[in-house]
Amino acid sequence: MKNILTILKKEYARFFKDRRMVMSIFLPGIMIFLVYTIMGTVMEKVNQPDPNYKYTAYVENMPQDEVLSATLSQTLDMKPYASVDEAKQEVIDGELDLIILFPQNFINDIDAETVPNISVYYNMANDNSANGYAIVNSILESFKKPSFTVNSGENGNLAEDRATVGKILSMIMPMLMFSLLASGCIAFAPESIAGEKERGTLSTVFITPIKRWQIALGKILSLASFATLSGLSSFIGLILSLPKFMGGIVSGDTIAYYSVGDYFMLFALIISVVLVIISAFAIVSSFAKTVKEANSLIAPFMIVIILMGVFSMFTSSPSLGLYAIPLLGSGLAFSSIMTFTISPLGFVLSIISNLVAAAALIVALSFMFKSERIMFNK
Amino acid sequence: MEEILKVENLTKTFKLSKKQQKLEKTRTKVKVAVDDLSFSAYKGEIFGLLGPNGAGKTTTLRMLATLIKPDSGDAFIDGKSIITEEDKVRRKIGFLTSELKLEDFFTPNYLFNFFGELYGMEKSAIVERRNTLFARFGIDRFAEIKFSNLSTGMKQKVSLVVSIVHDPEFIIFDEPTNGLDVLTAKVVTDFLTELKNDGKTIILSTHIFSLIEKLCDRVGIIINGKLAKLDSLENLTKEKSLEETFFDVYKEIAGDLI
Repeated sequence: MKNILTILKKEYARFFKDRRMVMSIFLPGIMIFLVYTIMGTVMEKVNQPDPNYKYTAYVENMPQDEVLSATLSQTLDMKPYASVDEAKQEVIDGELDLIILFPQNFINDIDAETVPNISVYYNMANDNSANGYAIVNSILESFKKPSFTVNSGENGNLAEDRATVGKILSMIMPMLMFSLLASGCIAFAPESIAGEKERGTLSTVFITPIKRWQIALGKILSLASFATLSGLSSFIGLILSLPKFMGGIVSGDTIAYYSVGDYFMLFALIISVVLVIISAFAIVSSFAKTVKEANSLIAPFMIVIILMGVFSMFTSSPSLGLYAIPLLGSGLAFSSIMTFTISPLGFVLSIISNLVAAAALIVALSFMFKSERIMFNK
Repeated sequence: MEEILKVENLTKTFKLSKKQQKLEKTRTKVKVAVDDLSFSAYKGEIFGLLGPNGAGKTTTLRMLATLIKPDSGDAFIDGKSIITEEDKVRRKIGFLTSELKLEDFFTPNYLFNFFGELYGMEKSAIVERRNTLFARFGIDRFAEIKFSNLSTGMKQKVSLVVSIVHDPEFIIFDEPTNGLDVLTAKVVTDFLTELKNDGKTIILSTHIFSLIEKLCDRVGIIINGKLAKLDSLENLTKEKSLEETFFDVYKEIAGDLI
């Protein structure tokens, strides 16, 4: 135990006294917060066009209908043009938003129950023009159809905001968590295992009486705590940016939808997932001769891990057996915590499967540390 | 004389890569680095292993230090097998070789404490030993400077004291003065004599004749992984210099020098 602590302390000293290493723990969280907050703000602006904006339009044969002409006049700022072609060029150039061409006897045609056509020209590449087209289209669609409306003035979605948030998060969280945690692990495992092997500092520890499994365990535990910190920093960055990111979809405080218990389960899952990933990456790193080689060897494993997160996105009602698969089960558990449907047994199974896998990998790592062929291959 | 090291028929082979086979102009896939090597060392002596590069000196020492395992044969340090009792052997030995590096990021102080703890030493014992050794080598002047910022000589001094942090009875030094300036080399060789006077047993590998002549009691000449000659320094230098004796032995075993 004392030996494991000695290794742990050394690894902590190595990382926490190195400013660059500390940055690599907290920077991802800060970056994620900034990126998602900015993305959320921009998306909100794009999704909600300015209600006071008046779309510039060229209109021919404005119908003699008070309601229609009044509604259109509220939305449009009408401009005169000498010809339709001239107006079309202006739309293409982005100087004019819309062209609306009514048939000459529009109202009479409707009353005669023929089907008149209105030509509306717009520019999809121009946001104002595209938004204007959508608005004018809905005004024209509703004209002369007073028989019924659908969801007029109310939101038909009966799901509570909480459930909507849960659904959205359950789709993105597993993959996002797996990629964040794996990126945390990839920042530390190659440096600590392949790096020490490359620099010849691991052999110096090997000739002391400390057992190889103690070195393996000490390394894994310390690396796992760095990766967890890095994963948590990303996670907190993500959670804090959610209100802004989800701003356009739901109202209310997204963070408060989840209980302390939910966060505890997430935290436990994160730790167990990190243990598996870091042990796997440590093993791959011990095969590599250099840090560079370790990084490229790990890349395919990283993709497999992220795919496991993707798989859980498409598994809506998983059987309990799936929870017993390391990592995959955790992806499912992440997802069901988000939708408030986690079963206690599923949660426990996913944690245990991860711990068993991590233990097996740590044993494997100690065997690798004993292998002359692996540790001293030059 | 008490026998503290007994090497019995140690053999170690390495697989040759295709590239290596071409370089060595051979079709055999295996290179015998150490070939059926047997010798003994006695308590309190400095035993020199002399041989050209690639003769198998370092491989032998790495096996004795339990870093790698022999293909066959065994060696016993103070009665403990390097194969079956490696943990006990590790407690008894100190090993200094250029292959074992210290982490650049840490200071000599930190490194000394870290390795002291790995050898299971009490804090007070580590401090006491550190004070003695750091003062002896002048390391106290740069004890808080990162290892990466030290000069080659300073680094070697730190590596030396770290390798004997636990005050081992049996010390293996692989080319301890390589790359050092004359001043630092002298500090190291003086210290080896001190260790011998304290009753420690030292195995010293080198290809520097003067170092052997200055320090060793007995010498084993290794050529192509085999022990070509083993005798006391006195006997080896009775009729001619150690250098001449070595070249005679070499010619007899390996033929021409190139």
